[in-house]
Amino acid sequence: MTEDGAVIAAEGVTKVYAGNGVPVEALHGVDLRIRGGEFTAIVGPSGSGKTTLLNIISGLDACTEGEVRLAGRPLSGLSGRELSDFRRDHIGFVFQAYNLVPVLSVEENIEYVMLLQGVPKRERRRRVSEILGMIGLEGFERRLPPHLSGGQQQRVAVARAMVSRPDIILADEPTANLDSSTSGGLLEMMQGLNETTGMTFVFSTHDESVMRRARRLVTLHDGRISGDVRQ
Amino acid sequence: MDTPARAPSSVEAVMMYLKLGWRNLLRNKRRSLIAGTAIGVGLASLIFMDALMAGMQKNMIDAATATFLGQGRIQRKGFRDTQQADLTIRRPGEVLSALGREPGLAHYAPRVLSFGMISSPSDVRSIQLVGIDPGSERHVSEIDDAIVAGSYFESAEGGAGTSGGADIVIGEKLASMLKVSLGDRLVVTVSEAGSGDLCQDLFRVSGIFRLGIQEMDGAMAFVRLGRAREMLAIGEGIHEIALVFADPEAGGDPGLPFWGAYSRFGNEAVGWPEIMPQLEAVFELSRFSTYLMGLILFGVVALGIINTLFMSLHERMFEFGVLRAVGTRPAGILGLVAAEAASLAAVSIVLGCILGFAVTAVVAANGIDYAGIEYSGVTIRKLIRPELCLRPYVEYPLWVLLFTVLVGLYPAAHAARMSPAAAMRRSL
Repeated sequence: MTEDGAVIAAEGVTKVYAGNGVPVEALHGVDLRIRGGEFTAIVGPSGSGKTTLLNIISGLDACTEGEVRLAGRPLSGLSGRELSDFRRDHIGFVFQAYNLVPVLSVEENIEYVMLLQGVPKRERRRRVSEILGMIGLEGFERRLPPHLSGGQQQRVAVARAMVSRPDIILADEPTANLDSSTSGGLLEMMQGLNETTGMTFVFSTHDESVMRRARRLVTLHDGRISGDVRQ
Repeated sequence: MDTPARAPSSVEAVMMYLKLGWRNLLRNKRRSLIAGTAIGVGLASLIFMDALMAGMQKNMIDAATATFLGQGRIQRKGFRDTQQADLTIRRPGEVLSALGREPGLAHYAPRVLSFGMISSPSDVRSIQLVGIDPGSERHVSEIDDAIVAGSYFESAEGGAGTSGGADIVIGEKLASMLKVSLGDRLVVTVSEAGSGDLCQDLFRVSGIFRLGIQEMDGAMAFVRLGRAREMLAIGEGIHEIALVFADPEAGGDPGLPFWGAYSRFGNEAVGWPEIMPQLEAVFELSRFSTYLMGLILFGVVALGIINTLFMSLHERMFEFGVLRAVGTRPAGILGLVAAEAASLAAVSIVLGCILGFAVTAVVAANGIDYAGIEYSGVTIRKLIRPELCLRPYVEYPLWVLLFTVLVGLYPAAHAARMSPAAAMRRSL
């Protein structure tokens, strides 16, 4: 962590895509600091740069200018392999769709990251069982993702993101493909986990119900932060 | 928040990649089956070609060695090149006695050889005169089995012994050219060893053979060993000893200690590859053709594998992005795609081996009839039957596995190099 307790520190982050020879600036000089345990929503219209910002602060993509520090560690200095290991051990991801590996069962999807971490099998199974209980999906261990509803799949995705005990969970529009009641349930679960475990949640959204639940709203517009409100 | 010093369990990771690879293959069964069949047919073709080549080689070796040549020979050094009548085997009694005690040797037959002229009232022809011991010769060559008229040195005149007897066994074509039949008289002229003086002797046709080999049917004549020795004035000398080993492969083995043991006193013992080097060259060419065909087949198959894997990868690019995002290293993605390629290879190997075995077994049961066709100085006389042996079912599948995984590394490297964000953007 940095001196002010920020687990994520983005300074002057600019991202330019060279799409079809015409440079497109997705982010422009973004400064953002997120402290441990925050439940933060990054909001803005489509094309405002939400996903790009999440990708850059998680090391999934590199910024054109600026610097991102995760837990005080600059991401620009890490190799591809170190970034993979860093994400594996410190960041949990939830994407809006196609989140799970369809040929792996619920249990296998959840334990995949732990397997990469080298967690022993018995411990993996214990944690899977525990987290399935927490998200209300006991008995679904052997099911394959295509045999689950959208809401159940997102719950499994959250479980997979959390089970490796990361410091931060980044969620890119996690409720985009869910109906309002399912998305409400998912948010409630994530909020509960944030409160009980102290895990940092950062998610992009343009869903009003998500915005209402967030304790901090960072608004992006045309690749710049146009608002940052704690509520 | 330091990075924990934990290492993924490599065995478990490999098992997971194999599981993922196999299940991914089953995601699009039809495509996997088509790709697997293409590779399998390539493998089956290789297995069949290998078996056919082995069968053809065996057939040709058998035709070349069993007819007359023998699987090996002992001769005086220099006789092979000059055919000089005075170059007889040194210490023949000692050599023959040692051969009698040789455990790996099934049969052997002493021979006397000379070029000469044969004349009938109608014509004169040049021939190779071969003096044989009928009793031992019948185990080494097929002259006795090829008799179409008369008998094989069984006339009352000389019996089946080695000396005396004016009977001569000639080829059917030679008999036709000389316009002679059983019981007719022929005069054979040869040069005596040493002096070079001409020696003539009268024989009576006691047998006519047909081997189906032009050179033998039209230009060879067999007489008793003793009679040939007398004509050539070589005393108890012999020009060669034809050999048949208990193990048919032994004659083709240049490392066999036998050759060294009998290449002494100025004699040389050689196997059939040295006697008929053109045959070994033909086999080498056949092997090269098989490898070339394999290369072409696998080149075509490689494009199929690359296409299949790329199609599969592009459909699942987001999935690869997710796997990279959650911490799978680039090498892990590489391993995952390689495992998928290996799974595809496994399916192909099963299909290819079954198909290859079935085709080989059917053709081996029925045989291919090329009888009478002469190839590189050897006339094929029996049905060619592909050889069923284990090696192609082990060697070629291993090559297929290695090749498929190697080819799969190209799309695998493509997937591994892609940044997670780019992979996810590409799919959406």
